[in-house]
Amino acid sequence: MAQEEGQATLSEIPCQEIAQWVSAYLDEHVGDERKRQIAVHLAICVGCETYVKQIATVRDVVGLLPKTVEESPDSHRLRRAFVARARPSPSGG
Amino acid sequence: MNSDAVTVTESLSHRMVVGRKPEPSQSAAVLKEDVALLIRLRQGDERAFDELVARHHSALIRMAMGYVADREVAEEVVQDTWMAVIEGFARFEGRSSLRTWIFGIMIHKAKDRGVREKRHTTFSAFESIDDDGDETVDPSRFHQSGEWAGHWAFPPQPWDEQTPETLLASQQAVNVMNLAIKALPPTLQDVLILRDVEGVDSKEVCEILKITGTNLYVRLHRARERVRQTVEIYLEGRQCAV
Repeated sequence: MAQEEGQATLSEIPCQEIAQWVSAYLDEHVGDERKRQIAVHLAICVGCETYVKQIATVRDVVGLLPKTVEESPDSHRLRRAFVARARPSPSGG
Repeated sequence: MNSDAVTVTESLSHRMVVGRKPEPSQSAAVLKEDVALLIRLRQGDERAFDELVARHHSALIRMAMGYVADREVAEEVVQDTWMAVIEGFARFEGRSSLRTWIFGIMIHKAKDRGVREKRHTTFSAFESIDDDGDETVDPSRFHQSGEWAGHWAFPPQPWDEQTPETLLASQQAVNVMNLAIKALPPTLQDVLILRDVEGVDSKEVCEILKITGTNLYVRLHRARERVRQTVEIYLEGRQCAV
């Protein structure tokens, strides 16, 4: 019984469509109705549940990738420009 | 669960959860910080300028590289951006955050430069991602017809042991992901770098890139999907090798 219901709901929105909404869903950028539909689908669809978990892993891991710290190649020039701009020397003299 | 400041340790300390990615504490706090920094900048405080450069320089270079595909040119673009910031901060009215303003300048300059240099890309390449067009996930992974049309034919296989921390522990996985990000077209790379790498909240990403929330999530999802595919291929390859 539950399975029949489940299958009926599952067919309501195809996985292919669910997959498109995953990032918006994860960031709670979907409307309430869509959120409900996706949640119902995920509860009974292992493929989509796995997909959501993988996208969430990617989202989290990308933010934790080691970042190269870039040095400004010409920081002296920038600093001089900043000083010149911020404290204009009395001109006209 | 503490969902405030996402520090590396916190993120590593719990397994990946499906749920909202905590948005960095934004608006009020950030703007306050901006105001304090602007006051110091306008007073000619060099350390304030150094702080500003240190805060954004790396991310600016990373993003500029997506547009010009040449390290030296990217550095020039960012250098020019800082010059424009120096010229402009006295007139900056705070209608956006400082970051939005600075990144906006960089993107403008990078696009301009990318077009003039006609490097690997043309202007249309920046706009070529049709937000309603291509499927995000390879359509051949779904049933094409029949009762189960649109449902998974080849669903993703669970990454059982793979958490952000196990992936990060593998230098090879890190390289693979970095390459996948580098290979993204600029419109996808931008959103991924801003939202997921830099942790900029979605509203501000939209402001920086001048796109709608819908555009943002279409692009962000495509970018994440490409990285996911790369990880999937990497993990499958490793399984085969064992």
